[in-house]
Amino acid sequence: MKTFLKILLASTLAISAGAKEIKLLNVSYDPTRELYVQYNAAFAKYWKTKTGDDVVVNQSHGGSGKQAQSVINGLEADVVTLALAYDIDAISQQAKLLPADWQKRLPNNSTPYTSTIVFLVRKGNPKGIKDWDDVVKPGVSVVVPNPKTSGGARWAYLAAYAYALETYGHDDAKAKDFITKLYKNVPVLDSGARGSTITFVDHQIGDVLLAWENEAHLALKEYGADKFEIVTPPLSILAEPPVAVVDKNAKRHGTTEVAKAYLDYLYSDEGQEIAAENFYRPRNEAIAAKYAANFTQLKLVTVDQEFGGWAKAQQTHFADGGVFDQIYAP
Amino acid sequence: MKMKSKNMKLNRLIILAIAGLPFAFPALAQDNTATNSTEAAEIQTLKQEIQALDQKVQALEQRHDAEQQAPADISKEQIQTLDQKVRVLERLRENDQDAAAAVAKAQPKISLGAGGFSFSSADSNFVATLHGLVQVDSRTFQHDNHIQGNDGILLRRARPIFSGTVFHDFDFQFTPEFGNGTPGAASAATAPSIYDAFVNYRYSPALQIEAGKFKPPVGLEYLQSDSFMFFNERSLATDLIPGRDLGFELHGDLDGGLLSYAAGIFNGVGDGQRNTSNTAFQNNRELDARLFVQPFKKSKTVALQNLGIGVGGSWGTSSITNTLGLPNTTGGTLAGFYTDGQQQFFAYNPTGGGAVVAHGTHWRLSPQGYYYYGPFGLLGEYVISDQGVENSATLQTANLKNKAWDIAGGWVLTGEDATYTGVTPRHPFDPRNGNWGALQLVARYAELDVDKAAFPIFANPATSASEAHSWSVGLNWYLNKNIRVNTSFSRTTFTGGGGAGTTVPAAVTQHPEDVLFTRVQLSF
Repeated sequence: MKTFLKILLASTLAISAGAKEIKLLNVSYDPTRELYVQYNAAFAKYWKTKTGDDVVVNQSHGGSGKQAQSVINGLEADVVTLALAYDIDAISQQAKLLPADWQKRLPNNSTPYTSTIVFLVRKGNPKGIKDWDDVVKPGVSVVVPNPKTSGGARWAYLAAYAYALETYGHDDAKAKDFITKLYKNVPVLDSGARGSTITFVDHQIGDVLLAWENEAHLALKEYGADKFEIVTPPLSILAEPPVAVVDKNAKRHGTTEVAKAYLDYLYSDEGQEIAAENFYRPRNEAIAAKYAANFTQLKLVTVDQEFGGWAKAQQTHFADGGVFDQIYAP
Repeated sequence: MKMKSKNMKLNRLIILAIAGLPFAFPALAQDNTATNSTEAAEIQTLKQEIQALDQKVQALEQRHDAEQQAPADISKEQIQTLDQKVRVLERLRENDQDAAAAVAKAQPKISLGAGGFSFSSADSNFVATLHGLVQVDSRTFQHDNHIQGNDGILLRRARPIFSGTVFHDFDFQFTPEFGNGTPGAASAATAPSIYDAFVNYRYSPALQIEAGKFKPPVGLEYLQSDSFMFFNERSLATDLIPGRDLGFELHGDLDGGLLSYAAGIFNGVGDGQRNTSNTAFQNNRELDARLFVQPFKKSKTVALQNLGIGVGGSWGTSSITNTLGLPNTTGGTLAGFYTDGQQQFFAYNPTGGGAVVAHGTHWRLSPQGYYYYGPFGLLGEYVISDQGVENSATLQTANLKNKAWDIAGGWVLTGEDATYTGVTPRHPFDPRNGNWGALQLVARYAELDVDKAAFPIFANPATSASEAHSWSVGLNWYLNKNIRVNTSFSRTTFTGGGGAGTTVPAAVTQHPEDVLFTRVQLSF
């Protein structure tokens, strides 16, 4: 009987193991859907060739802040690929799912690609929007998501604020006045970048969309260059969307190895090519040069330079009672 | 626009008329030129005046056009502004709806229906459900030698069933019993007791581990839920099957239920008995296991999809005297074998007196199967129970090979499908609208054959029967998914026993048992 039970147990475990499929959950921010659909297919092929195992990567998208909160609340992400480091810091600090120094584990501060904030305007640019000054003019309707929930929105806010600081000699009061005027021109605050794109493109609301560069290109690609134009302002912000393995979740799922490989592969030539094809600025210089035509050169300021890092920027501008709460009244 | 056009035409006509006078009357003009140069000058003046008038008219026209144009521009701008406002309002409404949907999605869910009362966290990782089972029975015996308490109305089962899931993969169930309980057990009649209390970890459908108190994986009829049985009571075959016990079990369904397996280590209980003390009474353990296949479950041949066959079994040893479920000698209300009417027809009551206890090995083997197709259902089982026993007075030992089997079938007269998990009426009882629920006709035959070696050293042939044969017919009325009313008749005849006496089992085996059952059942 004991032998029989052993055989039964072994058979069951063998059957279960054979039927097991490696699954990863990538919790990401709003506009990366298309990037990761393409990248996941490439990675699955790579992993199959390397190990013989099948890997299926499920995607979850939404406003970066909301996504981070979902992971904190129990969404079992194996990896997170969010819009800004602060959101992954929150997962580390509040849920202790990964170490505080997570950003040192991969090159370029765990940011395999970068992006920036540009303007998407209607064909012919009827309001003549060329620079940040133009978006704060009375009568210009601006579409941008809510910085409380969207990473892209926080980048857009900081880009505008940085422009004001640069323009007005780092006079914070004037910068605050500038950002107040900007948000007075915003009729709808969506929770994520994709929502704002829908507001601007599908609902035809507003004169200008403050968009991720990749999202603006995607809108152009999907809806046609005869409907929209991209205007790149002379100055914007260097957006660095980071990636990280959620250690405790991956360990629990037994996916640590494949999760690490998944993120490492973003830095490979193929990963960088896919990023560039999806209008993210690749870190790899050779591939960046190959796709240089897709990316207008502009002055890019960083959060560290202008705002003293994400933690400070978050506390000053986006925390409850921060500048955004002071200047924005729906 | 029409008015404007008419005015313009009129003005032009007047101007042309004045300007054309010299051409319309040339003779007059020539005479005037020739005779009076002053008149020529006047004409020149008139021409200049006409030109001035023409310019004025043109200016007026332009002004008029501009005045006409301005309101149109204003209207267009207003429309665009309004259009944007409407679009913004629509978008805000959409966003509000999305936000409300997201909030609703994050709220715990509560549901109440035929399946019971359920609370669930938004992500379904935590679920708590409340079910219940109440069975009110009536038994009417013929020729029962006036055994007290046989005839009457009883609360056969009264169980609140609390079950659920925590952290997605851990299921639990807790089932207390406030009804009559299992006949034969020491606590049967009155004491509330715990029937199920277990935790089940689901790694996958194919690999699950259960721990606690629950039904061991041996008998097909016994594993069927109490609320779905064809008859009020299980058959003679289940007299040889182990009842609820404490243990650990590995189980699962492979390939979507094509093959189900279960194997576990339990404390071990006697035939037809359950563990009532929630503890062990000996140091040894019993291994129980079962394999069940539904080979055509995924077949396109519908008629074969619900054919299932399997085998269950157990193996264990008893090393010490027990008082908690294994056969013993006190007879009467304790261990032995029971009729459909829950009367004891066999007891371990040696002719010469003394106690009989389990001794040595005890194994069971139970080939089993069912078949359901449309309104037809068939369920059968054969059981061999090889029980080592010892007469503690004479120290004589034996291995008694008791056998039992049953075959039961049903036909749903109203056409609904019969299944191992019950019948769902197509038209729940609602007489005001001419709906009466579902009716099922059921029949069963069963036998139990006690090893002849049991007599007389381990059982008294004068009082305990060596064989029981039972047939039953019944009608089940499913008013709806939750309410069921049964009525059935069972006749059990005996071989052996029948001797003098007014106590069981003699009083039971003196005549065939004829009993009319009714039941009103609530299950949800």
